[in-house]
Amino acid sequence: MAKHATPLLDELEKGPWPSFVTDLKRQAEKSPQCWDILGQMELSYKDRITHWKHGGIVGVFGYGGGIVGRYSDSPDKFPGVAHFHTVRLNQPSSKFYRTDMLRKVCDIWEKRGSGMTNFHGSTGDLVLLGTTTDQLEPLFYQMTHELNWDLGGSGSNLRTPSCCLGKARCEYACYDTQAACYGLTMKYQDEIHRPAFPYKFKFKFSGCPNDCVASIARSDLSVIGTWRDDIRIDQAMVKKYMAGEIPAEGNAHGSRNWGKFDIQKEVINLCPTGCMSLDGGALKIDNANCTRCMHCINVMPRALRPGTDTGATILCGAKAPILEGAQFATMIIPFMKIDPENEFEELVELIEKIWDWWMEVGKNRERVGETMQRLGLPTFLEVMELDPLPQHVKEPRSNPYVFWKEEEVEGGWERNVKEFRKRHNM
Amino acid sequence: MALSKDELKAAILKKAMESPKPQLYVKDFYACDPDTKPRDIKKAANELVTDGKMVFWSSGSTTMYAAKGRAKDESARGV
Repeated sequence: MAKHATPLLDELEKGPWPSFVTDLKRQAEKSPQCWDILGQMELSYKDRITHWKHGGIVGVFGYGGGIVGRYSDSPDKFPGVAHFHTVRLNQPSSKFYRTDMLRKVCDIWEKRGSGMTNFHGSTGDLVLLGTTTDQLEPLFYQMTHELNWDLGGSGSNLRTPSCCLGKARCEYACYDTQAACYGLTMKYQDEIHRPAFPYKFKFKFSGCPNDCVASIARSDLSVIGTWRDDIRIDQAMVKKYMAGEIPAEGNAHGSRNWGKFDIQKEVINLCPTGCMSLDGGALKIDNANCTRCMHCINVMPRALRPGTDTGATILCGAKAPILEGAQFATMIIPFMKIDPENEFEELVELIEKIWDWWMEVGKNRERVGETMQRLGLPTFLEVMELDPLPQHVKEPRSNPYVFWKEEEVEGGWERNVKEFRKRHNM
Repeated sequence: MALSKDELKAAILKKAMESPKPQLYVKDFYACDPDTKPRDIKKAANELVTDGKMVFWSSGSTTMYAAKGRAKDESARGV
């Protein structure tokens, strides 16, 4: 029996799509506090303002992250959600769950919280929505001691790392994203569970330039698989695609007739650098000019594959639109070997150098990408002890002045002015 | 010369107790000892939380520190 009338929310049940309002009403039969969520949300829709307050010192002992405090600003009207804290659980790499574990999580959560979940939050965590302060410690104990399942990151912590399906399911993966994600999650437990930085910091690992976890747009440190040799071509398979014997794009668009596959129109002409051509029926690729856009490989996966000398490109500084707008990550290192055997030594060295610099010069609530923007890429590269590369150049320079440092000029600033004037009379 | 760990923790706690702002960012503690690296200051501040002398205050996106008893909404703490 509904506790609050919800005429505005009820409108959201009328479409042909699944409705979270219907889900909440169903859950409310088991967890009565869900009626108060519906009531408070109806009031928010009516008032056009949120009635949630968030933040506070709520948490579990020893941890400075993983719990986000949330309170109602109208606890008298909605006592079931007076406290309604969010719990973030560290999802398994690539989000491969065992169903028995999911059942156990849900059983514990129905006992200790609202039963409402979010699979998954933007960072990747399994999010448990809504519990009271007194349930936090028992919930944490059960999750960690009975399920061996830890909390994720929140606040100014390292956020829960996430990765694509990687080598578990994808033939494009150029390194073991799951190993990297798990390895760095274990290495940086202190940074995940306790605040460490001026603001949040995210790692995301994609196995190839398709970047299925959108790490280039969503993470402070983005590790995207790539290769530095040539794309592997099976010319016999190319011919089969051209003859229509194999459907393009794995037949992903096969529900409609798009006509005969045209390799010139659909692959070669769409190459962003124009580095492909047909030569007597054979497909040629000028690999030096390939930008790893993945389009040709995605269209003809049985004919084209990434090379075999694989590793990752490292990018830094993406963020969402708060402050100065959304920002993509900046390419820092074009190619790095990602090797679990040496515990990702090279990557770890770079990460810690970035952290040390950002912790020292970053302002409060400033993402590392904003620090890079404020102080400039040349400064960042200098601190990281990286030589500038052609790949770092975004566009040809428009400023005609070149500023040199004294140590970069042969002989420094000392010069014989008389000799100079002999050649340059004024 | 950098302060010893105990001296650093005492300086951080003093700052947290005496600062006009009840809640401080980790960066606000860097001045407690300019010779200590930011990561070591962070570790010392986090140890003070484990020792029960300071608490974390989190907005969800940012975390701040406060001396125990000085943070707003402290009664809401679950431990």
